[in-house]
Amino acid sequence: MTSIQRKIWTLAAIVLFIMVAIWTTLTYYNQKTQDQYNDILQRYLRMNEVTNASQQTITALNNYRLKPTAANLGLLDRSKEQLRKARMDVMTLRNADNDFAIANYMNLIDSLLETTDRSLLFQTEKESEDSEKAFSEATRVSKYISEMTLTLIDTELKTYDRFYRGIIEQSAELKKLGVWLLLTITLLMLLFTYGFSLSITRPIQKLTQAAKELSRGRFDLKVEVKSNDEISFLAKMFERMRININNLISEIQQKAQLERELQQNKLLLQESQLRSLQSQINPHFLFNTLDTLSKKAYLEGSEETSDLLASVAGLLRYNLKRLDRSVTLYEEVKVLRQYMEIQKARFTDRLRFEADIDETCLHVQIPGLTLQPIVENAVIHAVEPSEEGGTIRFRIIDGEQRVRIEISDDGPGMTELKVRQILEAHPVETEGHSTGIGFSNVVTRLRLFYGVDDVMEIASGPEGTTVVLLIPKTRRFDSDD
Amino acid sequence: MRKSLLILIGALCAVLLYFTAQSADRVFRSERQLPRTPVEQQARYRLVLITQELETPFWDKVAAGAKAEALASGAAIEVWGSYGKDQEDFLKKLEIAIDAKVDGIIVQGLDSDAFKNLTKVKAAFYGIPVITVGSDVPMVDSLRRTYVGSDQYAAGGLIAKQLIADMGKSGTVILLGDSREEYYQQQRLKGIYDILKAYPGVKTAYAETADTREQVIATTQDMMNRLPDVDAFVAVNANIAAAMIHEIGRRSQVEPYDIYSFDDSPDSLPLLEQGKLDGVLEQSPDKMGRAGVNLMVKWLSGEVMPLNTDGYPTEIKMLKLKEAP
Repeated sequence: MTSIQRKIWTLAAIVLFIMVAIWTTLTYYNQKTQDQYNDILQRYLRMNEVTNASQQTITALNNYRLKPTAANLGLLDRSKEQLRKARMDVMTLRNADNDFAIANYMNLIDSLLETTDRSLLFQTEKESEDSEKAFSEATRVSKYISEMTLTLIDTELKTYDRFYRGIIEQSAELKKLGVWLLLTITLLMLLFTYGFSLSITRPIQKLTQAAKELSRGRFDLKVEVKSNDEISFLAKMFERMRININNLISEIQQKAQLERELQQNKLLLQESQLRSLQSQINPHFLFNTLDTLSKKAYLEGSEETSDLLASVAGLLRYNLKRLDRSVTLYEEVKVLRQYMEIQKARFTDRLRFEADIDETCLHVQIPGLTLQPIVENAVIHAVEPSEEGGTIRFRIIDGEQRVRIEISDDGPGMTELKVRQILEAHPVETEGHSTGIGFSNVVTRLRLFYGVDDVMEIASGPEGTTVVLLIPKTRRFDSDD
Repeated sequence: MRKSLLILIGALCAVLLYFTAQSADRVFRSERQLPRTPVEQQARYRLVLITQELETPFWDKVAAGAKAEALASGAAIEVWGSYGKDQEDFLKKLEIAIDAKVDGIIVQGLDSDAFKNLTKVKAAFYGIPVITVGSDVPMVDSLRRTYVGSDQYAAGGLIAKQLIADMGKSGTVILLGDSREEYYQQQRLKGIYDILKAYPGVKTAYAETADTREQVIATTQDMMNRLPDVDAFVAVNANIAAAMIHEIGRRSQVEPYDIYSFDDSPDSLPLLEQGKLDGVLEQSPDKMGRAGVNLMVKWLSGEVMPLNTDGYPTEIKMLKLKEAP
């Protein structure tokens, strides 16, 4: 993964490299040209140097002849030395074209030196005429040297004519090269920069697009960026964020659903509370009235009615009193018998009740009003709709850990859905006229009371329904309140 | 759209790169060193051929012959000289050659004191051998090693014989010569006179003239005035032939006269071709050049020692109109 920074560095490095390369080449080239010019100039200067030195020698010789002092002699010696040095320099100028001329040239210098010496010699020997002659010869030679210098320079120009023209052409070519180079580099840089900027901006553009989509609320589009730098990392993070947001949203939706259900449940609770409150209106007044009615029926000789009214009153009292606390199974069975008495009065012989009770189990603690709603349910669904009535069997069997309470009827049975609804403690739409406490209420209370889930089994079929309650002999937590 | 633009720019880039590469190639590839052609082989001897008449057909041939021979014998030779018989320049060149200490000087002889002084004193002082070519200066005067060229005495004789053959044994002949009276001219005259002596019927008149055109014309006029019955002319110095013939032509027809000259002037051959000259003495300049260099190299290497001081004559022959190329 190359970072954007590295990309920038690479671009800068390439630019730098190109610039350095061009700079180096041009500098090198320039240096070479400079050297060349120096070489050429050097050649001309050396030739010119010979002319100068020879003229100086002649001047010095003349001065010495006019005034033969040691100073002038020193001057003459110096200029002669200079001439010798110039001669050595000229030697390096040799080439095939001027070989002959250079040889002549050097020999001319030698001749000049010799003639000068000769003139000096004659001078010291006081043979002034010979000295004069030698001097004039030296002057002539010096003149020849000057002329030959010009000839040599001329030859030089001819020899190197093509070369010089080449240099001029080359410098013109260099100018052209500069233009070409500028154009090429400009275009290349343009191309490079375009590609480079694209490699950075294209992923960003994609990312921007993706962000726009997200901001519009489209969380289902995948964020995909093909790139090899931080942008792709950013895109990946973005994609993860999108997925997270998606998840969060669905979570929130679930929560909202839950909330709604809770609200509903609250409403239901309020309703039931209202109902229970309503049912508590002046209960004692009701009990007393029922007692009074029972006594009056007894006094008037209707003992059966009196017993019935007493049962109703007892049941009602038990209902109101015991709903929120635990009782023994014994009490429950007693209330159940009272309830059955009332129902028998209602259904006469259409209702058959068979009880098989193991008396040893009656001390077991159980929430109040547990059995009555189940039996009531059986009465409502199995006995009431049938013309010939039905049989309700009630058994209490002692198990090892638990007490098994079976309540079975021979009604038409329940649907599978209903069974499940009951077991899952859904509030079931109650039909008919029950005491108000539903089946599911019983299940919930039992579970809460014992702290175990498997408190009820329901087996239902066309030949009847059997509800089995499995009551633990000891509560898991003994908080008897 | 963008893609096609990119492709266009890419193509442009490629084209530019190509041109840039080409330009760079041209700039950097070209030879960057001064063409220091090394001196492959130091020539054995440095010789100089000096003439007074550079770039005349005659001396060009001498130079060509000398150069060819020098090339063959491994000597370096340069041809120096003056134009149009500029003696001062010629002598200067000779002095430069001596001062430049060349190994040998092959020079067109000039019968003057300055020339003699240079060859006899200065060249001898530096020990530089001198060979005269084309025209000679006597050895006693010049201390030349030898002479290579036509035997001018024989050449004069040849002209005289031709004159007799053409004109007959009697007649008047005007001999026109250069007033400088150089050695070769004296030889020619001597040759002519020696032949004509045998023919008493031939009357000769010799006139000298300076070598300016006006002077030649004046002298010719004068001679023709003095000798109206002239039959033949001989321009002993080839350079005055053109002006002389011009003057004759102004006076009368040229054809009746027998006019002779030598070939060492650029005018000679064209005049012969035009029929104005009846005969030209042809020398062998190429051979002179060759022999001059050859002898010089031989002398320098010690192969032939000493050289024949009388000289090595080269071939001469009479060139008539019908034979002219």
